[in-house]
Amino acid sequence: MNLSIFTKTSILSPTLSSRIILNRSISNSITPTPIISRCYPIPNPPISTNPKTPLFLRPPTFSATLSDLQKWQNWAKTLASSIGSTFTDSDNGPNSENLHRELNWLIEDALENPQFLQNPQFIENPQLQLRAELGDLYELWKQRIEERRPFQYVVGCEHWRDLVLSVEEGVLIPRPETELMVDLVEGVVKEEEDDDDDGLKGGLWVDLGTGSGAIAIGIARVLGGFGRVIVVDLSSVAVRVAEFNVKRYNLQDKISVKQGSWFEPLSGFEGRVAGLVSNPPYIPSGHIGGLQAEVGRHEPRLALDGGEDGMADLLHLCNGAASMLKSGGFFAFETNGEDQCKFLVDHMETVYYGSFYNLKIVKDFAGIERFVTGFRS
Amino acid sequence: MSSIILIRRAYNRSSSSILFRFQSLFIPNSHPQFSTSTVKPQNHASGFDLPSKNVSSSISNERLNFSYRRRLLLFSTQAAVEASTSDGLTVDGIVANQWTILDENESDWKSHASAIAQSICLIKKRLKWKELKVRLELLSFQLEKPDIWDDPVHAGKISREHGTLMGKMKEVNGLEQELLEHIDMIKLAREEDDVDLELESVKALLRMRQSLKEKELEALLAGEHDSCSCFIEVQAGAGGTESMDWAGMVMQMYKMWAQRRGYGVTVVDEMRGEIAGIKRATVRVDGEYAYGYAKAEVGAHRLVRISPFDSAKRRHTSFAAVAVTPILGDGSHHVQISESDLRIERYRSGGAGGQHANVTDSAVRITHIPTGITAACQNERSQHQNKASAMAVLQSRLDQREMVRQAQMNAQYTQSLTDNSWGNQIRSYVLHPYRMVKDLRTNFEVSDPDSVLEGEIDDFILSYLTESMDKENDQV
Repeated sequence: MNLSIFTKTSILSPTLSSRIILNRSISNSITPTPIISRCYPIPNPPISTNPKTPLFLRPPTFSATLSDLQKWQNWAKTLASSIGSTFTDSDNGPNSENLHRELNWLIEDALENPQFLQNPQFIENPQLQLRAELGDLYELWKQRIEERRPFQYVVGCEHWRDLVLSVEEGVLIPRPETELMVDLVEGVVKEEEDDDDDGLKGGLWVDLGTGSGAIAIGIARVLGGFGRVIVVDLSSVAVRVAEFNVKRYNLQDKISVKQGSWFEPLSGFEGRVAGLVSNPPYIPSGHIGGLQAEVGRHEPRLALDGGEDGMADLLHLCNGAASMLKSGGFFAFETNGEDQCKFLVDHMETVYYGSFYNLKIVKDFAGIERFVTGFRS
Repeated sequence: MSSIILIRRAYNRSSSSILFRFQSLFIPNSHPQFSTSTVKPQNHASGFDLPSKNVSSSISNERLNFSYRRRLLLFSTQAAVEASTSDGLTVDGIVANQWTILDENESDWKSHASAIAQSICLIKKRLKWKELKVRLELLSFQLEKPDIWDDPVHAGKISREHGTLMGKMKEVNGLEQELLEHIDMIKLAREEDDVDLELESVKALLRMRQSLKEKELEALLAGEHDSCSCFIEVQAGAGGTESMDWAGMVMQMYKMWAQRRGYGVTVVDEMRGEIAGIKRATVRVDGEYAYGYAKAEVGAHRLVRISPFDSAKRRHTSFAAVAVTPILGDGSHHVQISESDLRIERYRSGGAGGQHANVTDSAVRITHIPTGITAACQNERSQHQNKASAMAVLQSRLDQREMVRQAQMNAQYTQSLTDNSWGNQIRSYVLHPYRMVKDLRTNFEVSDPDSVLEGEIDDFILSYLTESMDKENDQV
């Protein structure tokens, strides 16, 4: 294989802005892997205001022969197999089996007709249409394995519930656990009989620290023709990505995206919010250094670090919930686990005695106490 | 990981008894017919007992049908006038004439007509023509009741079945009509000395003869759910890596078979062996009649070969168990799953989860607590989709279990279904000391195991379907 293709500036290499975030988040200990130093630095990157298009949405304007693609596939498989359980043993990262599955998904996203690579006997034309250059596919898979770049950043999207959301460096990749937040909202909305403005379904919903906009889009679809949603994020990258995702699901009339810190952009809505949801940063600062490489080296610290005990933002949300929610309003927060859940419930029952009712701790599918929900008195 | 192995009560046998069955084969001199059905056919079809109120409605319907059937049989003997040619020749008459059937290339109308008439009779036999007519009368009778639409779900079911059966009846009647018209036309052409017209009609007969061969096949798949898509599940028997490798080969055989037939194949759940093959796997096969064909593969498949995993190069016998369950359409499920009966777990997840972890693996396992039946999926890209996919597998397994249960209460199906249970050895693949694949149910065999393992199993399936259809007809 000619190595020169790796060194050319790839259209898919992370932009400088995301590099800065990356560097900030890895300030602890991680030295760049050789592949980074081999990449040409980009002197003056165009500051893009549009989010990157996920791989699967790009036009299939490139092509490669079946045998070249198979060569790439075999190379990628060998690389994936060589990992064994190394990552799992070191930081609970992916094993070979996970990586093999990701490789199939990369093929799914990158090829116009992925089935031809799996069943070449049905192929008529030995040229296959690609959504990225073959050289970029080598580069992407190297980034995945050698830099531990999260698969979702590699393909530019995350499949979450029944959605496919665009994600990129600078935006937290929505977690499978968080899917349940939408089910929790669906549960309380369904119980409601009517859908007037006074109720939950027809009311104003707020998703704070939305990142890719995942929870908000999920909720907007649960509300159907009713209610509206405001989403807030401090990060300008997140705001752009959330706007992109909202538009892709044609919800721009229902969801408005605002940039700002937590409740700041919501002045004037005190006591008028029907539902408040958030997956705030909740990892204690001391744990950031030991995170799985995909998370610690690549995801934005802004979305992860919840202060010394991880509770800083959750407590702030509690205060806000008391002042922003209307009577009967619903809230759901994601937490780090049992300790934070218990602390939060205790805090609400004592410091905000009488302000909330029906406080509940809800487990995720792995059996970890993950969410706190309740209603404003 | 052993906790993931499914509890297979759905098949009336616990997994441990399957393993026991496998192991029992390694005991010398054990009788190969180890798997005789333990369920004796129960004769419930006497039909005159009224359905009790507390039996589920679909069962009582079945029984009702039986009791009605008895009475309606009397009426149905006054059948409509049979179609015939201008000089009184009927389809049955043609069969009775026993005209010699020549090769298709021979342009002889009598030969074509005889072949067509035989095909029509076969199709009628396979459709259980007499029963179909009775059932149709019963359904029409029910549809004419003024209060039928008070229960729209039931009415919809009746009306759909009526439509399907009516379609089949019309199609066969149309075929008979067409045959007789062509014969009339040929006779007319001869009287008029119109050579072109005669040739044209003989050609039309030939076309009919050819297309009816296809239809004969379709008529084999007349079961209620045969047209459905399905799940195929393969599980390795006892015996470690050699067994797992064999299970992997069997799964590969079905994947290739399905692709050959143009079906969509998706892996839903797969647990690989440590060294080779699979411990178990489930694939979803999408396409018309996938269930109808694949259901012929249910049972234990036996491999005899020199194991590549045995350094002493000894001959090994391994087993893989195959289960097939239909994917019923919305509204035709036999079991309503209640959300509160489910335990949904994420598995293969360790550590703190949440923001701590970046995972693309969101495997979900669902346990139906009342039955202990489980289903898992890890091949979708979101947890939500894994859950939906696992739910579909669970629904399919519960439906199948309910169908078996109902069938056991209904003597008509008992024989055919219990024969097909999970633990019965149905086929033997011998790679050493000789090469042969033999179906133990039909004795159909081929001497080229490679082609079979590459997915050429249609002949096995068809011979089995034909044989079981004939058996069923004999019983009736």
